Amino acid sequence: MNYNILYNSKLIRIILPLLTCLTGLIAQTDNLIESISGEMEHFNKVATATKQNEHYQPYIISVFQGNELEKLGISNLKEALLLVPGVDMATDNSNIQTPIFRGSNPLAYGQSKLFIDGISVNNLFLEAYSEYLSFPIEMIKRIEVVRGPGSKIDGFNAYAGSINVITYAEDFKGFESDDKLVFKYGSYDYKMGGFFKTYKTDDLKIFVDFFYQEDDKKLPSGPDGLSQGALSLLPVFDNRALSQTGDAPLWLKEYSLGTNVEYKDFSLKARMLEHTQGSAYGINLALPQESDRVKLPSYYLDLGYAKKIGDYEVNINAGIKYDAFDSYSKLAPDGLNFGVIFQDGIYGEHFAAQQTLYQSSYLKYSAIDKHLITAGYRLIKEETIDMTSKLSNRATGDVELVDYTDTLPFFDKDAKRNTFIFSLQDEYQFRDNISFIYGFNYEQTSYKDSGFEPRVSMVYQRDAENIFKTMYSRSHRNASWQEMFTMNNRARVGSTDLNPEIVDAFEVAYIKKFSADTYLQTNIFYLLNKDQIYNSSVNPEYRNAVDTDIYGFELEYKGNISSVDELYLNYSYVDGKSYTQDEDRSESIPNVAHHLAKGYYLYNLNSDLSLSTVVKYVGAKDRVFGDTREKVKAYSTVDSSLYYKDSKYNYCATLSIKNIFNTNVTYPSPPNTYIQDYAQEGRTFLVTLKKEF
Amino acid sequence: MLKAQASIFPKILLLDRKIDDKLIDGKIVYTIVYDKSDYSTARHVGEFIDASNKGHFDKYMYKINLVEFSDLSSSTHASVIYALNSDRDIKKVADFAREKGIIAFSYDVKNLKAGLLFSLVLEKSTVLYMNKENLYIQKIDFVDSLLRIVKFIDKDNS
Repeated sequence: MNYNILYNSKLIRIILPLLTCLTGLIAQTDNLIESISGEMEHFNKVATATKQNEHYQPYIISVFQGNELEKLGISNLKEALLLVPGVDMATDNSNIQTPIFRGSNPLAYGQSKLFIDGISVNNLFLEAYSEYLSFPIEMIKRIEVVRGPGSKIDGFNAYAGSINVITYAEDFKGFESDDKLVFKYGSYDYKMGGFFKTYKTDDLKIFVDFFYQEDDKKLPSGPDGLSQGALSLLPVFDNRALSQTGDAPLWLKEYSLGTNVEYKDFSLKARMLEHTQGSAYGINLALPQESDRVKLPSYYLDLGYAKKIGDYEVNINAGIKYDAFDSYSKLAPDGLNFGVIFQDGIYGEHFAAQQTLYQSSYLKYSAIDKHLITAGYRLIKEETIDMTSKLSNRATGDVELVDYTDTLPFFDKDAKRNTFIFSLQDEYQFRDNISFIYGFNYEQTSYKDSGFEPRVSMVYQRDAENIFKTMYSRSHRNASWQEMFTMNNRARVGSTDLNPEIVDAFEVAYIKKFSADTYLQTNIFYLLNKDQIYNSSVNPEYRNAVDTDIYGFELEYKGNISSVDELYLNYSYVDGKSYTQDEDRSESIPNVAHHLAKGYYLYNLNSDLSLSTVVKYVGAKDRVFGDTREKVKAYSTVDSSLYYKDSKYNYCATLSIKNIFNTNVTYPSPPNTYIQDYAQEGRTFLVTLKKEF
Repeated sequence: MLKAQASIFPKILLLDRKIDDKLIDGKIVYTIVYDKSDYSTARHVGEFIDASNKGHFDKYMYKINLVEFSDLSSSTHASVIYALNSDRDIKKVADFAREKGIIAFSYDVKNLKAGLLFSLVLEKSTVLYMNKENLYIQKIDFVDSLLRIVKFIDKDNS
């Protein structure tokens, strides 16, 4: 017995350490596997949030990284968007520029939505975001561009496309960005300086970015709209002889201060953008003075709470936004005759400030196997909070401004709209390689409702190299403030009876992944646009008058020719028919380039130095019905950049020459305005210096 | 993707039961092979591994060894090899790994068909791919639990 005990204790003394060792090994292995799985889960989250798995998402998306665009000499958001397949640019007489997605209604501004760090920044007055197109690329970490309404999520309606600009405020563990200081100098005495900085502790993160930029750009323009009868009342008052040709003031003065604060589950996002630009081609189509200006300020403040508890994830946000249209300009030349003679011309000050309040709550629920259900609402209250309308004396012709805010307002000072949006969506992982997303938005407003808008999409991954997507979605664009509330204007008459523009989008995509960094993305689309909002010089009242069917395809390739270069190419084709209901006529879609081709080639001369070329082709554009001018001519531009990075001291320098061959680039003008269209800049240069800390 | 690979690959090599046989001077030599133009990328990967691991993979000391594809030879020191992109040198890396009996990680999943062992890919989610054909190399012996989280790939189908 004692022997047995002794034997057993010896056995235990031998086996126990072995067992302990073995148990330790198993525990160590389990820890490693758990650690690997945990990291893969973390990288999943980062990849999904940063759209690195873009090809597996249920929409047509192109993603551009800010630091890659910097190497190409891209200077701002507008230049970056001009690289996107199917995206062209349009402008108007106030130089309010707007990206045109797949040829969708170039006359309207709010066809696409711009988000800065998840906050929608389209202004309420025009539904445009022209003031953000000059946003410096050095402040942008990533641009995600979704063509089509497919990105519709959490109550936002993207009609023709959406642009998500992610600043360096975005921060993931292991993927932190360096702080940055940047200076730029270029043609038209362009000067820019800016920085961003992040401060972090365990629970608190504070990010701040700031930039200032200005230029003195002016471009030869004219004859102005007076030559075509603008500011005349023929045959009674003929002011055509007062038409001018000269430099259109297209200068820019702008600064922006942004901050993102995160504390535990709470967040604060705020930005103040003060944007002032020259009055361009004149709000009444008379060439303005050099100092005349339009201010388009944009402020936002968003408070958020995000919490994951078990299978539930809640996101609650509330915020306030402010935008304004603030113009001070000479509206008509000396000697204008409108019954009263304005010896010193007509001056005008037009100011309309808008406020938007919103609150949203969304809940994600993941307890049902293979399903992720998201439901929630968004409440929006929009209103004009201030309005001023001043003009030179209409009765006497005296140049001094008279306040017509109450007697002859240019805008409805009581403009307001309330909106309620409910959305429900289910992401269903049917099999490992097949997933569906389906759901709907339901929207009610205090004017005309868009109602129920469904969405269905499927992503099928046949294998690691072949991905197929198919999507159907319905979306809408509510009438902009300008389309609803403009008053006492001979060229534009607002109407509150406007229905939302509706689009039904059918899209099919195929992606071939040749390697980790090489792919070909193709898609075909068919867009049925109904009740598009339209006005003309014959009938200036905005009305739902146009139905447009648009179809086309897009090809996008990214890869390499050798191991030391990068090649990016895209081509898009779009065609369709517009039917104007009250005039009972059809025409090929006007002001739209049927062919767009863009691309770049970047060659790394060594690990610090690269040379790149960006090429863009924009096809010819048909004129609108009744416009007898020749088509807007096709053009090609070539840009080139030399980029140097000093790895030791962590600074970069870029020298860019844009539009090397000084090609004539023009954006179409409406009929009876600037007959020579709106000329854009020719050859320019840009020098950038950047230091990272 | 590079950061994800640089973070996860060192943990995978610790799941090889025969890792002790591959130590060189008592250290794991983590060799990164790169094309000349990718030198800064290779350096950044090495710096990221150093910043994350502070000189040790678990109980093992390690050393980062940067080697150009053209300089890779049988005399190159490596306990494990990680290949960045190359147009033509991947077969050379696969032969090197097979000869030495070491784990070969690849930046690009397409290189597994050339004989490398692991790659990490961002599809809809993060997927760890393993070349089935090289699974039974005698000098590598992975714990079974690793095999449960990988997706297999072979020369004929992806």
